[in-house]
Amino acid sequence: MSNFWLVAKHEYRNVVMRRGFVIGTAAVPLGLALLIGMVILVERSSENRLPIGYVDQVGFLDENAQPAAADDEERIEIQAFADEASGVQALEQEEIQVLFVFPPDYPETVKTELYYLEKPPSNDVWREFDDFVRLNLVRGLPEDVAYRMLEGTNVVVYDTASDREFSESSIINVILPMVASFFFFFATMSAAGYLLGVIATEKENRMMETLLTSLTPGQLIGGKALGLLSATLTQLTVHIVTALLALKFASPVIEALQKAVIPWEYLGLLALFFFPAYTLVAAVMVAIGSAAVEMQQAQQVSGIVNLFFIAPFFLVALLFSNPNHPIIVFMTLFPTTAFLTVSLRWGLGSIPTWQLGLSWVILVGSTAFMIWAAARIFRAGMLRYGQPLTFKGALASLRNQ
Amino acid sequence: MHTVEVSHLAKRFGDIEAVVDVSFAIEPGEIFGMLGPNGAGKTTTIRMMMDIFKPDAGSISVLGGPLDLPKKRRIGYLPEERGLYKDQKLGATLTYLAMLKGLDQKTAEGRLGQWLERFDLTDYRQKKVEELSKGMQQKAQIIATLLHEPDLIVIDEPFSGLDPVNTRLVKRIFEEQRDAGRSIIMSTHQMYQVEALCNRIVLINEGRSVLYGRVEEIKRNFAGNAVELKGQGDFTEIPGVLETRQLNGSWHLALEIGADPQDVFRALANRDGVKIDRFELAEPSLDDIFISVVQDGNHGSEAGHV
Repeated sequence: MSNFWLVAKHEYRNVVMRRGFVIGTAAVPLGLALLIGMVILVERSSENRLPIGYVDQVGFLDENAQPAAADDEERIEIQAFADEASGVQALEQEEIQVLFVFPPDYPETVKTELYYLEKPPSNDVWREFDDFVRLNLVRGLPEDVAYRMLEGTNVVVYDTASDREFSESSIINVILPMVASFFFFFATMSAAGYLLGVIATEKENRMMETLLTSLTPGQLIGGKALGLLSATLTQLTVHIVTALLALKFASPVIEALQKAVIPWEYLGLLALFFFPAYTLVAAVMVAIGSAAVEMQQAQQVSGIVNLFFIAPFFLVALLFSNPNHPIIVFMTLFPTTAFLTVSLRWGLGSIPTWQLGLSWVILVGSTAFMIWAAARIFRAGMLRYGQPLTFKGALASLRNQ
Repeated sequence: MHTVEVSHLAKRFGDIEAVVDVSFAIEPGEIFGMLGPNGAGKTTTIRMMMDIFKPDAGSISVLGGPLDLPKKRRIGYLPEERGLYKDQKLGATLTYLAMLKGLDQKTAEGRLGQWLERFDLTDYRQKKVEELSKGMQQKAQIIATLLHEPDLIVIDEPFSGLDPVNTRLVKRIFEEQRDAGRSIIMSTHQMYQVEALCNRIVLINEGRSVLYGRVEEIKRNFAGNAVELKGQGDFTEIPGVLETRQLNGSWHLALEIGADPQDVFRALANRDGVKIDRFELAEPSLDDIFISVVQDGNHGSEAGHV
């Protein structure tokens, strides 16, 4: 195994074996399981599957025209009553859980009367009965018209510049970039934070000189960066898988997911920007970790530097209201904010190709420069035990070495 | 072929000339001492040898040429500023460091068992490094230097933090390594250890190698630069004398380079209240030579020792 992979494996194992990492990784699944368990428990305890009763004094409802149940769904039975008295009696005898009465003037007033005992009808009851009434209202119309009326409007907007489609049903394509931006950004900053800690601790431990006689700086830093990113992605994967499993319990979201088309274009874009963006953050952290005397000092400096990376989160309101605002365009092109801004903007509309291209070129160029600079600062700073590398000293190391 | 050959090395950090002109060569199967006062340029020279710093001028040949990764694997390096991962287990840390030097895990773990036993650290294999005493950590670092059986061993102050028993053990181990044909470069301020272990030395002062050669030859060249006397009176502040020490009832005087012992004797004889029972030339210790050369600045090189 080459030294690069040895370092990566060593760092990976070091992080994932830490108690804090294990707790942090397990906390989300356990928390979600607990939450879902409690929700299920509450729902089960309050679930009422008694039939829904109705009295149709208009004569527009057909008891047999009930909506078809989905495969994994059991519909609540809907039962007709000849008159209000028999319906109320059934309600009082708890044969039904709720009674809707459609008075003769319903077509004019669009008002119904509702009877229930103690608890008002649940959302399930409203949804079930709403479907039933809507189905009856379109009964007799041509099938395609009935389908259109039941489904409602779905405006699809085509963007000719990017050949992309935006519609209500593709809402997931808006949510996904939000979630992905957050998760990948978390991974980047988390791995970079680990890297900062590892470099600063390496310096504190006086290990650097020994390691540099076995490894090139590239192997040492590259291996550490890969190992730490892998550890963070491991944690993230556990969290994402858990979240997806949790979504199984949220049928409306699943419905949206089922309609969604996998946005390969977005995933490609994400990959294209993610790796140079992570490398840029990692290089910045290496430079800070090498220049600082100890961990605390490194964290203070990195806290300020991080603001340059998380700036798009502060301007998210502007991003939503006007994704093409000059400030947003600037953040698209600025290397530290490019990844996050591009990722968030993608879901809100199309990004002009020239902006994407220029942004990527600037990002990659800045990353290449930062790797070069970090390597020099690393060489100059790593062996300065007990004394920080000043900004002036860092600049001198860029010129001199 | 020399194991290491350093020729007219120079390195500057901004306005500071850390190394001006250092040259020496190391033979296979010898323990080579690198001496010099603090800030003389020893560590910078070692770091240039180890390819941590690039020299501004001069050339370095290690194990037959420029230092590359395969050659780095043949070097064991115990730097002056050293440590281990404090929050990790001793055994795992040493195995990892040996694997970085090219050993497979099984071999590394096998050899580690033997070294831990020899250094009486077997019971600490599964303990975290931070739980070990300073001396134990020092022994662990020596194991990390030797575990991959390097051809060239570079050690900076190897005896610091060791008790006399472990110092003796480490000395014995270095002698074994030398007898096995390995070259050892040892940088230390403990002159008696250098005298006991080293075949040859280089003395670096103010960035220059000012003294270089076999220990016995150097001592022979400096004979007459120290005087031992017995008597009563004030033996301090004598012209031509760099340092006066009292040893077991005798006085040991380290002379300036070029100072004539007869002139010293005359100066003492002319002093009031001084009575001399015995006055003889002493074989200078490396300590005397170190002080003579360092306090006389560049006289060493002027005297033709390099």
